[in-house]
Amino acid sequence: MNYSLTKTDIEKEEQKGVLSTALKRLVPLMAEEKRTVTIAVVAIIVSAITALVVPIIIAHIVDVYFISKNFQGVLLFSGLLLIVFSAGLASNYIQVKTMGGLGRRLLFNLRNKIFNKLQELPVAFFNQNKAGDLISRINNDTDKLNQFFSQALMQFVSNIILILGAGVFLVVINWKLGLIALIPAVVVLIITQLLNPWVKRVSLRSLRTLGSMSGEIQESINNFKVIVAFNRLDYFRNKFKEANQENYSASVSAGIAGNIFNPIYVLASSLAQLIVLAFGIYLISTGNFTVGLLIGFLLYVNSFYNPLRQLASVWPSLQLALAGLDRISEVFALESDIKIMPKEKEAALSSLSAVLEFKNVFFHYVEGKLVLRNINFALEKGKTYALVGPTGGGKTTTASLMARLYDPSKGAVYLEGKDIRFYEPAERVKKIGFILQEPFLFNGTVRENILYGNEDYQKHSAGELAQVLEKAHLTKLLSRFPDGLNTKVSSGSDAISLGQKQLIAFIRAALRSPDILILDEATANIDTITEQLLQEIIDQLPKETTKVIIAHRLNTIENADEIFFVNAGEVSQAGSMQHAVDMLLHGKRES
Amino acid sequence: MKEKTPAKNIFVLLFRYAGIISLLVIVTIIANALAIVVPKIISGAIDNYAKGNFIIANLIIEFSIIAVLIFVFTYLQNIAQVYASERVARDIRNDIAAKISVQPYSYIEKATPAIILTNFTSDVDAVKTFVSMAVSAIISSIFLIVGISALLIITDWKLALTVLAIVPFIGIAFFFVLKKVRKLFIKSQEAIDWLNKVISESILGAALIRLLNSQNPEYEKFIDANTEAKKISLKILGLFASLIPVITFFTNLATLVIVVLGGHFIIQGTMSLGSFTAFNSYLAILIFPIIIIGFMSNVIAQAQASYGRILKVLNSPVEEKTGGLRAVLKGNVEVKNVTVNFGEKTALKDVSFSVKAGSKTAIIGPTAAGKTQLLYLLTGLLAPTSGEILFDGKDINEYDKESLHSQVGFVFQDSVMFNLSLRENIAFSNTVKDENLERAIETAELKDYVDALPQKLDTIVSERGTSLSGGQKQRIMLARALAINPKVLLLDDFTARVDASTESKILGNITKNYPELTLISVTQKISSIEHYDQIILLMEGELLAKGTHEELMQTSPEYVQIFDSQRSTNQYELNEEA
Repeated sequence: MNYSLTKTDIEKEEQKGVLSTALKRLVPLMAEEKRTVTIAVVAIIVSAITALVVPIIIAHIVDVYFISKNFQGVLLFSGLLLIVFSAGLASNYIQVKTMGGLGRRLLFNLRNKIFNKLQELPVAFFNQNKAGDLISRINNDTDKLNQFFSQALMQFVSNIILILGAGVFLVVINWKLGLIALIPAVVVLIITQLLNPWVKRVSLRSLRTLGSMSGEIQESINNFKVIVAFNRLDYFRNKFKEANQENYSASVSAGIAGNIFNPIYVLASSLAQLIVLAFGIYLISTGNFTVGLLIGFLLYVNSFYNPLRQLASVWPSLQLALAGLDRISEVFALESDIKIMPKEKEAALSSLSAVLEFKNVFFHYVEGKLVLRNINFALEKGKTYALVGPTGGGKTTTASLMARLYDPSKGAVYLEGKDIRFYEPAERVKKIGFILQEPFLFNGTVRENILYGNEDYQKHSAGELAQVLEKAHLTKLLSRFPDGLNTKVSSGSDAISLGQKQLIAFIRAALRSPDILILDEATANIDTITEQLLQEIIDQLPKETTKVIIAHRLNTIENADEIFFVNAGEVSQAGSMQHAVDMLLHGKRES
Repeated sequence: MKEKTPAKNIFVLLFRYAGIISLLVIVTIIANALAIVVPKIISGAIDNYAKGNFIIANLIIEFSIIAVLIFVFTYLQNIAQVYASERVARDIRNDIAAKISVQPYSYIEKATPAIILTNFTSDVDAVKTFVSMAVSAIISSIFLIVGISALLIITDWKLALTVLAIVPFIGIAFFFVLKKVRKLFIKSQEAIDWLNKVISESILGAALIRLLNSQNPEYEKFIDANTEAKKISLKILGLFASLIPVITFFTNLATLVIVVLGGHFIIQGTMSLGSFTAFNSYLAILIFPIIIIGFMSNVIAQAQASYGRILKVLNSPVEEKTGGLRAVLKGNVEVKNVTVNFGEKTALKDVSFSVKAGSKTAIIGPTAAGKTQLLYLLTGLLAPTSGEILFDGKDINEYDKESLHSQVGFVFQDSVMFNLSLRENIAFSNTVKDENLERAIETAELKDYVDALPQKLDTIVSERGTSLSGGQKQRIMLARALAINPKVLLLDDFTARVDASTESKILGNITKNYPELTLISVTQKISSIEHYDQIILLMEGELLAKGTHEELMQTSPEYVQIFDSQRSTNQYELNEEA
């Protein structure tokens, strides 16, 4: 399956129907929250009504009681106003609380869903997408959703309702005046549509220059030692200066373009007031309107245009959130192709003596080129196997298939006579230990790292754990860490050497005492004395443990019972160590 | 480079941009002054109509002019904001870059790349937000509050004072809530960082997680972080849920006061309908700035914190003692009683040895022996805590750094590729001649590879060098070091990812093409260094033994142990040579 995500995510922006796509994306998420949504919508409507009836009450007070100089009436209707305001207070509170809570719960669920999906996807997904891109993509997109759900969503919904409500009031009070008051809004919307492509273009350019600038920073900061050692500081400073300047000019034009909308909306709002005022006074003079209504009308014009302006300002965050949601949906749409086959279809057992067997295995990565061609071999219990061969020959791929990081494109891998695809992950993982070429450490202590994913010893006290380690002959290795089990480690830092990382990975795998232990160049950066120590530990593993060792350095494989030579997608048996060495030295290379 | 002291704080920083900032202030004030005029015009029109001397043409002309002026000045204000903030951001970034480029490598290591990256991005952004939003928002808010209060008082002082009495309540409520919210914001950022850390680890460690079937524990970790983030944001929401309605309610109370009291005055005949309208409109304008000031206090606090972090970079002392010596090196290297401490940890303890020009020296020893640190010392990437490094008898600090770096080539253990063309990646220094470049490529056994590329040396090495194999990357690193035609070449575990036959070919090429080179090589393999002039055995930061292979075989049990651990391999490779 092709797992690579679209790269040009900033570029890909749909023009059409932001609102309808928003509804399409957001509504399903709210399916389980019907009750909350109902309460929220009711609260929003009530609070909008309380806001909207105020001008009409004031208009009534002005027209009826101010003119007739009836202060009793003023007081009476002021009491009504107080009731309306109190209702507004309550509904407002409920609105913020429910809508806000809803947004945060949606975000919570969405994040869980994303993470869950990431856990479901196979290794292929992570290999086809660069880790750095993936991390920034997931983190950025969830962050944008966060901003939207915790801030913009509420403003968004209540502003729309306010605009609709004020519009209705305007038209109902006096349809002629109402319609005229709405003309500037229509004009503004048209202008927005016309300007949008330009604004988008310049802001895209600014985003791109920003991206290349941070790329520049990242590259030079992370590789500072090389830049210093090769006298390239000036070169990189100038390159940065250029990128910075380019970002500056792009950002300025983006800022100038993006800021055009706010003044336009202000202008529209002023024009609407002018129209209402001029035409309203004319209507009053012809006896078709009252001063109180005019005052009220002016207030409605404000309650129409202010939310419109706010809507315009939260619009970009809606678009960003939707784009983020789009990109996340792209991940949601992916399905793991490493499926567990159902029990009832379980195939017949193959030759029982082999602990692991490859039968007519072909494999290619997405790009198409065959990496493994019709591989057949069987590994027996308790023996040590070595895979040798040039870089790019297929050693790591073969090992990955053994651990079911990938499935063969054709053929099958049998684990203890059963197709490996029928194993539950927990069961499979118990049987196979794989020490990766690139060791990965979690931020934490050595203890946390060597016990990672290992339920058995998680609750052991320091003393108990020390016994376990001693029994597994691992204590000596721990002395390579200044604070032993409590030494702090982190994946990125240079404070811990590559060799030490490989040691941790080794201990982690050895502690699990798997049936098959695969070492993929797991000791390349470990000195030979420590390596001998590792060899002793490996030798002391239970007799039934099958070992598969991939290595460049030949001494690591000299104790192998059998040597496989892996090159150009083929695995052939090397009769002896000397034979393997000859093949390695004189055979053709792939890289 | 011109040295100027960085501004003490964000407000002093503004004075550096006095021109654009004062323009911004002026335009902002004009735009807001015009905005206040609008309700005045409306109330005037209503009053004029009531009095019977209303001229529609005057209203339209006046109003239109004001509206257009507001448009122009608001836009001008926005443009000034953009210019000012982008210029400040650009200049700060350049300052940081200039500062960092004169710092030694140890500074970057100590400050950590991640934090410097944050300085460049989110810290600069916070300052940028301050300049673009806070400056004009605060100016306009203060102007509006003062201006409108004055106008209200002029219109009707009794009503005005009653209405203004309500305003402080809004301010106080806001102040208290924001103070609480700010603490929660910091906590919420911590929760987000935690969340991101779990995501990052789950991506970087994807293969391991699948091998151990530990997806569920990972998911639990994530749920913990996510729940924490939700909890904090619900707390923030709770505060806002009470704050926003309360502010609206107080504003409404002010409206109520205007209706009741204003109504009373109108009925008495001491107030006009127009003034009544104006009061209502001004109230709407008045509340907004109070809320804005509250929010801006957050922006300012954030910008101050960020600028503080930036200042730390800008004010960091440059401890570089660069000498001016620009001599051509012969290649004699001496390490004299060198000790390196990292905090309490000792990486190297009283190490001394010397290397003759043109000779070959190997450094061998177990993991974490301090081998890499030793090479870093020789390039000046790391300074010794005590002791001296001498090149041709002169202290490393007497040399001009550039001159030294252009004569000492270093092949790092980890492959570092830049998103540049292959040529730029190899001819990495500014002074590489074509013939040197070619010789370097040939020596590193890269010629066939380069010739097979459609764009040859102009091929862009893709980001993080993913299109290259590990061995190719290391060979490019070697070519890069050789291309400067170095007098001294430092290799850090160069052979770890290159297969044996390529390795022996490359080492042969080096001897042939660079006969006068002084070679210092960190390695694990004895077989390829047996014939070296000197072998240095390091263990846990201490120099255990030095001498030729034969000498060490006689004198150093540790060396013999390493040798024995590799002997079987040697046999095979000897066979190959035979």
